[in-house]
Amino acid sequence: MNICSCVVHTHPGTGADVAPRLTALPGVEVHAGTAADKLVVTIEDAGDSLAADTLGQLTRVPGVINAVLVYHYGGDDAAVAAG
Amino acid sequence: MTDTRPLSRRDFIKSQAAIAAAAVAGVTLPASLLAQAQDAAADPDIRWDKAPCRFCGTGCSVLVGSKDGRVIASQGDPDAPVNRGLNCIKGYFLPKILYGQDRLTRPLLRKLNGRYDKDGDFEAVSWDEAFDVMAAHWKQALKRSMKENKGKSVDELTSRVGMFGSGQWTVWEGYAASKLLKAGMRSNNLDPNARHCMASAVGAFIRAFGIDEPMGCYDDLEHADVFVLWGANMAEMHPILWSRLTDTRLSKPGCEVHVLSTFQHRCFELADNPIIFTPQTDLAILNYIANHIIQTEAYDKAFIDKHVQFETATTDIGYGLRPEHPLEQQAANPGVGAKMPSSFEAFAKQVAPYTLASVAELSGVPQENLLRLAKAYADPRKKVSSYWTMGFNQHTRGVWVNGNLYNVHLLMGKISAPGNSPFSLTGQPSACGTAREVGTFAHRLPADLVVRKPEHRAFSERVWQLPAGTLNGKVGYHAVLMHRMMKDGLMNCYWQLCNNNMQAAPNLNEESYPGWRNPEVFVTVSDPYPTVSAQAADLVLPTAMWVEKEGAYGNAERRTQFWREQTDAPGESKSDLWQIMEFSKRFTVEDVWPPELIAKAPESAGKTLYEILFANGEVDKFPYEGKITDARGNEYRNHESQDFGYYVQKGLFEEYRKFNSGPDIIKKGHEMAPFQAYHEARGLRWPVIDDKETLWRFREGYDPHVAAFNPDVEQGDVYFYGNANGRANIIFAPYEPAAESPDDEYDLWLCTGRVLEHWHSGSMTRRVPELYRAVPDAMIYMSKDDARKRRLRDGQMALIKTRRGQIKARVETRGRNRPPNGLVFVPWFDANRLVNKLTLDATDPLSKETDYKKCACRVERV
Repeated sequence: MNICSCVVHTHPGTGADVAPRLTALPGVEVHAGTAADKLVVTIEDAGDSLAADTLGQLTRVPGVINAVLVYHYGGDDAAVAAG
Repeated sequence: MTDTRPLSRRDFIKSQAAIAAAAVAGVTLPASLLAQAQDAAADPDIRWDKAPCRFCGTGCSVLVGSKDGRVIASQGDPDAPVNRGLNCIKGYFLPKILYGQDRLTRPLLRKLNGRYDKDGDFEAVSWDEAFDVMAAHWKQALKRSMKENKGKSVDELTSRVGMFGSGQWTVWEGYAASKLLKAGMRSNNLDPNARHCMASAVGAFIRAFGIDEPMGCYDDLEHADVFVLWGANMAEMHPILWSRLTDTRLSKPGCEVHVLSTFQHRCFELADNPIIFTPQTDLAILNYIANHIIQTEAYDKAFIDKHVQFETATTDIGYGLRPEHPLEQQAANPGVGAKMPSSFEAFAKQVAPYTLASVAELSGVPQENLLRLAKAYADPRKKVSSYWTMGFNQHTRGVWVNGNLYNVHLLMGKISAPGNSPFSLTGQPSACGTAREVGTFAHRLPADLVVRKPEHRAFSERVWQLPAGTLNGKVGYHAVLMHRMMKDGLMNCYWQLCNNNMQAAPNLNEESYPGWRNPEVFVTVSDPYPTVSAQAADLVLPTAMWVEKEGAYGNAERRTQFWREQTDAPGESKSDLWQIMEFSKRFTVEDVWPPELIAKAPESAGKTLYEILFANGEVDKFPYEGKITDARGNEYRNHESQDFGYYVQKGLFEEYRKFNSGPDIIKKGHEMAPFQAYHEARGLRWPVIDDKETLWRFREGYDPHVAAFNPDVEQGDVYFYGNANGRANIIFAPYEPAAESPDDEYDLWLCTGRVLEHWHSGSMTRRVPELYRAVPDAMIYMSKDDARKRRLRDGQMALIKTRRGQIKARVETRGRNRPPNGLVFVPWFDANRLVNKLTLDATDPLSKETDYKKCACRVERV
């Protein structure tokens, strides 16, 4: 089970447009930051799509300038605890 | 399946993750998420501790989370000044690099019929057997060297043993290696892989400033108005610094970014002035900028009069190839680094031919782009920070091109001040801290001392308690020369640690492989994984990596950072430090020193090198209590100290400090804090004076050395104390062509380099399944036109050939890298497609660093 969070910089004024493009990716949630063009994003494994694969796709989404990782959890227990 | 419980562990972790990211971004989270997170206390089972990242030279601090003896989580360290809680995508995989399925766990020796045989197969052996066989070869080679050196002066000593170390070594690993080779075995054949990476930067620092490493720091990223990238793909190779730069560009009015490269890459997304230039013409572009500054009289005359001295470089210096190569035969002054005195007027004349029109023609850059770049440097109101990595350093004129950039900054006085910073970025986590500061190069001793100078050797002999005349005064073999010497049978024992030189070194087919497999050579490789190098070795030693040992790294902004041992290494793996110290027990002084040297210190007779170098009353003077305890009461193991019986890392560091912080040091300016201070702080930038770090060197108000060297200094003024006259050198160097350029037969430029997902040769990152899947193979990045001309389609397998070899790879025309017509880019991480079968071992004749960015190739349909 992998869960990570990152900050995604978007081109100025496009945070709100980019957010839905990101949430369309598997396992992605945008929690905040659209107004600041700095999106607070979490990514988790979703079916065959591991969080890492999704993470790599972020910078290819139109409007994204940069994506930086902040937190990663890779223990085995989260999946169990989540049932 | 939907989870119906109020707060699952998954939700809890997710909320923690979001909070960490929001704190970093300075963004407020919805109240619902915050409330959710407050429901649960922090996970009490995970022990968190800081460590610098294992990968690039940025030096991000990460929090490493361990549970039940296993590293399971990582987080950007919110208290770290470098990365402020951020982490790059490689940081995601830090815990996973420890757990690749093919980790080596036992020494492996090539054997046939139960005995060592170079043509045998690898068999697991004990550490004792491994070191016995290795030591027997080393003793034989050392004996030959002693015989050959009989009657020679200390400036003429050669050696048949050598070690190839690393900018990924911890500070004490480099220091211990330097002692074993240079002090113990009297061999200067010690060089780091940093030779391939930043030797040119070092050469230019010493030539211009008389002291190594950048004067500025990462704080410049928030202070500059203009950023210029010269041959650095920061977006992929230094993502955290790129993130800080991006923040400044997007938030500061008028801020602009100029990106120069020989092909388009991800940094061009943010470029206000994108510049693609013909390879090698960066030399000319910089001279044009200098010329523009002089012609428009924009230069800072007062600064130049007071702080600068003009010189001119010896030209036509060859290409660092074997002496019999035609290019060396044709060169007027092969390898000559001498500088001649010059003047502002002479310099102005020398750069005058580099006009806008002529340089636009030579470089292929439109005049308007060149002019915009020159104006940014020439505008006295704009603070300019320049960044570079391998584009400048891996260059047959690498020292010159680094220097030409300093010329531009010095003409404008834009240096050693917040936001005004020519800044050499580094590719490895301790290329600065270990390779450069400890001095694990073939010509160096710790703290910028060099083997050539008798007074530097004498000082080192005193610190190391060696008889006078022990240290060898002849410069040893550099990285590329080592392979030539192995091929020629002149170096017979080679120990490579903490890097992958069979994959990294140039011209694999003609130099590296024949050298390693020469029957007269015994090769040892220490590594956590069975790399290309390990597979080509005779003996492989399993290594404890990163947080499996206590360590120290020094990053690109002079920041020294420590970490503690977080987890056990698998099987019988031991750190490189343990290996070096343990190996030293196999030699007595009689094996390595001639009788007349031993006679100078009769008390040393019969002692082992371990006793001479490590159990010397200094390195072994700090007790080890059986565990390391941090300020919060957490406990850690320390496997070297456990085995040797004293606090090894502390003893080595405190002895090393005698070179940079003692009362009688020869070169001031590298001062470091006592050992324990670094375990408490998120790193400190040297010079550390009275417990305070230094952000901008050479400027009064920031650097206490300035007033100490020059008591009359005016407030806020600079003094370049690395040079005896207090002045920095502007050194003219012209444009000279590359060693090999495209022609009718080989019609394309080949440039090699890196990608975001794989760090360097991929020894670690290719073992992380997600990264391997994301970028499994190296591609040939080329333009659509060039592909079409060769009847190649995207994704099609093609053959890429040079005069030295060929490999197959798929064509990529739509990827993240977009070369112009006439150039292809191939990354070097892929062990199945060794791009160094293609490259030429042409080096900068001054720095001996290979030019991996320029040779001629052709691409064909398979």
